[in-house]
Amino acid sequence: MRVSKRLFKIFGPILVAAILLLAVLLSPFSFGLNHVSKTTEETAAVSLSPNVLKGRLVKRQALSDNYVPFFGSSEWSRFDPMHPSVLAAKYHRNYRPFLLGARGTQSLTQYFAMQSVKKQLTNKKAVFVISPQWFVPKGTRTDAFGYYYSPLQTTDWLQTEKNTAMDRYAAKRLLQMPSGSSDKVLAGALARVAAGFKPTSAQRAYINYKARVLGSEDEFFSKFGIAGKNLKTVKHQETFLPTTYNYNALDELGGKIGKEQTTSNDLEISNKFWRTQLRRNYKRLKDSQTHLNYTKSPEFADFQLVLNQFAKNNTNVMFIIPPINQRWANYTGLSMEMIKQFDTKIRYQLESQGFTNICDLSQNGDEDYFMTDTIHLGWRGWLAVDQKVDPFLSKKQTTPTYKINTQFYTKKWQQLDPNDLNEFK
Amino acid sequence: MNETQSTVLSILQDLTGEDVSSNMDTNLFDEGILDSMGSVQLLLELQNQLGIEVPVSEFERSEWDTPAKIVAKVESMQ
Amino acid sequence: MMSFDPYGNPTYFILLFVALLPLMIGLLYGRRSHIYESVISFVFLMLTFGGIKWHTGIALIIYLIYQITLVWLYSRYRQRPDTPNKGWIFVVSVILAIIPLAVVKITPAVHHGASSIIGFLGISYLTFKVVQTIMETRDGTIKEFHPILFGQFLLFFPTISSGPIDRYRRFIKDYDSVPTRTKYLELVEKGVRYIFLGFFYKFILAYIFGTVMLPTVEHAALQAHGLSWALLGVMYTYSMDLFFDFAGYSLFAVGVSYLMGIETPMNFNQPFKSKNIKDFWNRWHMTLSFWFRDFIYMRLVFFMMKHKVFKSRITTANVCYVINMLIMGFWHGETWYYIAYGLFHGLAMVVNDAWLRYKKKHQAQIPHNKFTEGFAIFLTFNVVCLSFLLFSGFLDTMFFAARP
Repeated sequence: MRVSKRLFKIFGPILVAAILLLAVLLSPFSFGLNHVSKTTEETAAVSLSPNVLKGRLVKRQALSDNYVPFFGSSEWSRFDPMHPSVLAAKYHRNYRPFLLGARGTQSLTQYFAMQSVKKQLTNKKAVFVISPQWFVPKGTRTDAFGYYYSPLQTTDWLQTEKNTAMDRYAAKRLLQMPSGSSDKVLAGALARVAAGFKPTSAQRAYINYKARVLGSEDEFFSKFGIAGKNLKTVKHQETFLPTTYNYNALDELGGKIGKEQTTSNDLEISNKFWRTQLRRNYKRLKDSQTHLNYTKSPEFADFQLVLNQFAKNNTNVMFIIPPINQRWANYTGLSMEMIKQFDTKIRYQLESQGFTNICDLSQNGDEDYFMTDTIHLGWRGWLAVDQKVDPFLSKKQTTPTYKINTQFYTKKWQQLDPNDLNEFK
Repeated sequence: MNETQSTVLSILQDLTGEDVSSNMDTNLFDEGILDSMGSVQLLLELQNQLGIEVPVSEFERSEWDTPAKIVAKVESMQ
Repeated sequence: MMSFDPYGNPTYFILLFVALLPLMIGLLYGRRSHIYESVISFVFLMLTFGGIKWHTGIALIIYLIYQITLVWLYSRYRQRPDTPNKGWIFVVSVILAIIPLAVVKITPAVHHGASSIIGFLGISYLTFKVVQTIMETRDGTIKEFHPILFGQFLLFFPTISSGPIDRYRRFIKDYDSVPTRTKYLELVEKGVRYIFLGFFYKFILAYIFGTVMLPTVEHAALQAHGLSWALLGVMYTYSMDLFFDFAGYSLFAVGVSYLMGIETPMNFNQPFKSKNIKDFWNRWHMTLSFWFRDFIYMRLVFFMMKHKVFKSRITTANVCYVINMLIMGFWHGETWYYIAYGLFHGLAMVVNDAWLRYKKKHQAQIPHNKFTEGFAIFLTFNVVCLSFLLFSGFLDTMFFAARP
């Protein structure tokens, strides 16, 4: 019949396309599309692109090779010759940093980013930079969390949750984020987990379906849109370094470059940062930070999620606590006493649970050319980090033993005054 | 050529400055000979010279876009 | 309760297709069920105006009752045996029809951007339909008034949110008949093609221009703060985004109408190929510009010529161009840049007409070839893009918005 033929001509191609799309998205095969080249790994490792953080495939592949996850936030974008990625490439270390995090990523984002690479973290090493600035009274900003939110990581997490204290707390936090509760079915499942129940079987089926589709999408598309700009910068920065590694020579070089690039102000802040971010507001910012307090924050419990996950996967982690530019702190009136208290509290949370590899630089803020701007490590600061990180990653380490204390999820700990630490013990 | 036809053609010639009688099927809008302004003038002249009232709503471009169609329209309204 | 922006996501399209399937089978077998059409219209209107947006649904219902009553009263008046046709009654009716829209448009200007509670998605497009019906009733081209049919015309869901603006008589003709099978198959073929072209326009091209590129160039232009290459980038990127987004949406609306056996008019016809501004307005947002042409410009010219307001017909045309385009500017919203956009296009039409007259007079001296045509297209494109930069409000953000 002619009509049916005509109809097939109109709708046939759509039908075929729909069937193919469903087949591809729902099938467990990846059709060879999941190949990640070495170049892609190299680009992704320093790209700081949100899609790399939110994705799964590229991270998994790179971390299965010789890349080590470097969790952190905005400091990673400070690519100078002493940046960990530059040093590792220049001196052909047996590891390469895979930078995870950018401006606005905090513990909760990192916890979910870890969900897609749990296997790759198990019995491996990692580096984690703890920014004191995360620990503000309100904790993670919901808009920043939304920007880096990945439904794929949520389904990955939901598929493996065991309703531990960690899982219940994570579900509760996710529900507080608008992005985390945007999918109504997933939100329903999260609510059950937070309340101590398993997701219903219907919810479970939906989670599995969603995980399959999102996983396929990730395999097909996560390789695209990774910015290559930073890799160029890294390669360019390598050219400033001497051929052989010598700490004293590098330390001197760091001081020299720092001096050359901070000529526009008295705070030893890089000219670029000064010009683009600070100059216009400089006057207004005097004594503007006297009230800041990093000692009471929900972030302490979010950070516990990260520690708990590391412990579960038996990951050996080097934690870095960066300082604040002392000259800047003096100008804005930031309390150094408060910073010291923050340091005490966070170190207690780390050490009491067995996380003893800590590179604590919190008291080094007054060293020259240690910071590239107000709160970000640079030149000599990066080199100080390297002094700890390189041996930690290059040499064999004893296996850590962790003892997780779920009390760190409580409101009491979040809001505990560091002076009252004895009460908590 | 009847009277209506010649009146319509002379109105068109007055309006556009072009003699369209040789090509009765040329599209006046596509060729840029007639535009909205010209159409309104045409309607007004039809009213003045032939006494037929065409409301603007009745002016559907596709029904008035060639000299032949205009003549036919006018004849049907007389 | 689910709530959707029309044509916003895949779920909407899947629901739409499922709902249309019985209707399409019916049309294929020569049957049209107004009851079924009303049911799916109701469902899709609920999806658009229900859920968390329920208050806009209430606003829509009140608006509808108000306008149908208004047109019905005016129609009753015109159909009295002595066929009265007082000018002032007509003018008052049109003003009453426009008042709700005017309130919605003026509220943000006087209340610091707050939106009016009587507003809802698509109110301006419904107002066009109401006003044209009143005007045609006055002219006597619409003789009978059916409140139900008129309601169906206003609420035709594929076009309710942003047009294309159909005409009552044209719509009713399609709505009250069933296309032949051959004709309907042609409509389905075209409709499906339009919808898929719409996907390409809206979800790929508009995404690339609007979501990927625009923020980057806007950021660069804000950094430069003044005339810069980046600002030129904003101009072109925004223009492309505007076109592909709106043309994509219009293709959905027309395509879906076709599947329902209604030949809603097209809204765009390759506008960037225009050789001059007049040509452009015959290709860009056509149902809107034709509406303005038929119901404002031509009537204004008719009125002014009849009452000999100006001696010169050129002055008449020019004054009407500017008034026409200014009204369009005001219709977009009461901000300086929309009004400036209207004025810009009004003046562009005046210049355009002057050039066309000059060209006609000096036909012998002015060359006409492929190169001059190409240049005309290039020039028109850039003038249009410049007007879109004005329209975008980006200049307002750049120069007048409070800096963070």
